[in-house]
Amino acid sequence: MFAYAIRRVLWAIPTLFGISLVVFMLTTLIEVPPPADLGKVDPENVLSEEDRARARFVDLPRFFNTQPLDIHGRTDEILFHLVADDAQRDVAAARLARLGGAALPFIMPQIDAMPAAAKSRVAVALAPVAVRMGQGDAVALRDPATAPIFWTRYWDEHSTDFTEPSVRRTVDRLLVRDSAQRETELSQVDTFALATVIEAMPRVKDQAALRRLMSVAARASGRGIVPDEGAPAAAFVRAEEDWRSWWFIHRSDYVAYDGATKVAASVTDTRYGRWMLGAVTSQLGLSTRDGVPINEKLIARAPVTFALTFIAMLASYLVAIPIGVLSAWRRGKAVDATFALLLLLVYSIPVFVLAQALSGLFARDNLLGLAVPILTLTAGGAAALSRHQRGSMVEVLSLDYVRTARAKGVSTFRVLVVHALRNAIVSTTTLAGLQFPLMLGSTFVVEEVFGIQGLGWETLRAIETHDAAWLVAVVLFSAVMTMLMLIASDLATSILDPRARDTALHSGDL
Amino acid sequence: MRKKNTARAAAIAVLFLAFVTIFADLLASPLPVLCNYHQQLWVLPNVSHPKELDGLSCDDIQKAGHVYITPVTCHGPLDEAPAEALLPPMAPGHMLGTDAVGRDVFARTVHGTRTTLSFAVLSTFVFVMVGLFLGAFTGFFGGALDAITTRAVETMSSFPTLVLAIGVQAMVPRPTVSTLFLAIVLSRWAEVTKLTRAEVRLAKSSDFALAARALGATPLRVLLNHVFPNARTAAIVSATFGLGSVMLAEASLTFLRAGHDNSVASWGEMLSEVRDYPTAWWMLVFPGALLIMAVLSFNVLGEALRDALDPRTRSDKNTP
Repeated sequence: MFAYAIRRVLWAIPTLFGISLVVFMLTTLIEVPPPADLGKVDPENVLSEEDRARARFVDLPRFFNTQPLDIHGRTDEILFHLVADDAQRDVAAARLARLGGAALPFIMPQIDAMPAAAKSRVAVALAPVAVRMGQGDAVALRDPATAPIFWTRYWDEHSTDFTEPSVRRTVDRLLVRDSAQRETELSQVDTFALATVIEAMPRVKDQAALRRLMSVAARASGRGIVPDEGAPAAAFVRAEEDWRSWWFIHRSDYVAYDGATKVAASVTDTRYGRWMLGAVTSQLGLSTRDGVPINEKLIARAPVTFALTFIAMLASYLVAIPIGVLSAWRRGKAVDATFALLLLLVYSIPVFVLAQALSGLFARDNLLGLAVPILTLTAGGAAALSRHQRGSMVEVLSLDYVRTARAKGVSTFRVLVVHALRNAIVSTTTLAGLQFPLMLGSTFVVEEVFGIQGLGWETLRAIETHDAAWLVAVVLFSAVMTMLMLIASDLATSILDPRARDTALHSGDL
Repeated sequence: MRKKNTARAAAIAVLFLAFVTIFADLLASPLPVLCNYHQQLWVLPNVSHPKELDGLSCDDIQKAGHVYITPVTCHGPLDEAPAEALLPPMAPGHMLGTDAVGRDVFARTVHGTRTTLSFAVLSTFVFVMVGLFLGAFTGFFGGALDAITTRAVETMSSFPTLVLAIGVQAMVPRPTVSTLFLAIVLSRWAEVTKLTRAEVRLAKSSDFALAARALGATPLRVLLNHVFPNARTAAIVSATFGLGSVMLAEASLTFLRAGHDNSVASWGEMLSEVRDYPTAWWMLVFPGALLIMAVLSFNVLGEALRDALDPRTRSDKNTP
């Protein structure tokens, strides 16, 4: 038994991998806008366009990244364009202003070796960074003559601040005793502090300190939410989620990779890797329809859908088993024929036609309002199950032990329910695993017709607004749920019917 | 005897649907069957859709010439007439009424049959073929390809058909009939593959296959001449059930407005219009009845075929 269970569960790993691949391939179906011409357009437009693409990781290769870019690589690329003074110069300057303080440790050692013109171009491009840090004089910083001097002098004095331990110490102090002084200190290293600050956020319980961390991060990155003082806890959770998902996408802009992380990045810094990591750590992003985190929505919607599905499945078993037993017992008689015809008809009625017809007949606002959707779902499920139940019951009733029981004078009811049904019910019960995906699909339809706000309803709203994040999440989620149901039903079979388990173990399928 | 009659009725229903599909243009088309327009005789313009008569209606042609034979209804499935919106059945000129933009329900039902049935036949054919080939090949030869296919089948059967198809249709930039086709094939091939593979593995280890092998037949010959004919039955039965379920899936998706665009008439789209106009029962009843009839017929036929072709799984074998 255990051997079977362990094997069955282990075989789920390649299936899970397959599911993730299929859903990932789905995400690549989404239309990708062609890259903008970097020389001609306004740099800010280019960058915001790029952000939209990066939110879906389309800037990365699909499965393997031969050259994962970190802050070091990005800075070198920018410097190359600035020194060469080519068409991408303006975009490069805008990018450099974004990278900010985190890029300084990689620029400063190189800047002295540059020709004077290139040096001042780089220095002027860095002006917005100095403004963010609250350093120097805005006019002097934009003057090609004085800017390089400022930056050389600045680096001489402050280069020791741009080390990870120093930033960490400041953050720790800020967390122990919240003060404006520490906030200024963190602002002075600009984006260099982002890694430490954002990664510290989940540990922080105190709202005032959290606010301070968020405002440091917001100033350095020029984006993000900082909740008001005394805002409800939900606002902080939302803001933290927002920072977490932004950092998940933009981490490589501000952090340098060393040997091991660089190797790892060639796999994780790919479209599939990022997407998969996001899915595993439940960072499914924000819904583009209303900006609510996908997680929050899934937690709100899934119980409705699954409650509906499971209640309907339970109800269809309760209806199907008596019908199946009755038709098998009276096989060939009028009752059997009537049920057979009726069930075949019900089985063939599409769930949406039934739902639409019933929703027109019954009012929605009373108790019936909840019963009708379940009734709709039950009808289809019960029809399929009772046909199956009849088949397996007929088979068991023809076995010798049933005849023996009858010969001994056991009552009809006892023969049917105690002797025959116990064996006949096994295969019907284990159908639940196969029934589940069908029922889930039907639930989606029923939710839409009756306006029940579950996964299906939300999905159809997402189709209307092209909310890709939600669609991906819901396809992935229902596939994983179905897989779990299939495993559960296989395990149930193996407990109820050891022969099936042995067959599976020896057939080489497991 | 009763079963035989049911199966016969189902076969007649399927033939009826096929008839409607083939002769849809004779039943409902904006152009006449035979007419004289500007001193030129046109034969079957409703089928050939000549450029010269593009955009004309029967009435226009009557004015400039003569219409000899009209189709049953002189309306196309896509002809809108806002002045005649939401007419109930038996209205003059529209025997089954009209929808919210004045399109003739009879014409839309007839052409919807054509869309749905031909879509179902084509996609079922493709996924059954894929399943047969993959299942037979991997089941017979085994090896690495077999292992990979088994995992792929396992993976694909974890996706609820409807949810996966909704996902594909919503992700593609422009959902059309062909993307819907791909979505259906993608979600259905695994079932047939699994079935065929199991049948082939069973037949492969049977005595007659071993005997053929011992007599010196090549593995390919054993597969094609001895093993495959035994596995074929299951696929034929599954294809018949598949036709019904593909029609159902297509109708459900268009009902949810996640199917194809409105360039073709379809039952699901008509049914979805009822959601906006709940009192227009004629848009629910006519396509709904046809859909139920179609699915029912394919289910009955599937069962009849299973009983006829495969005595092992005869559903009434224990009936006295």
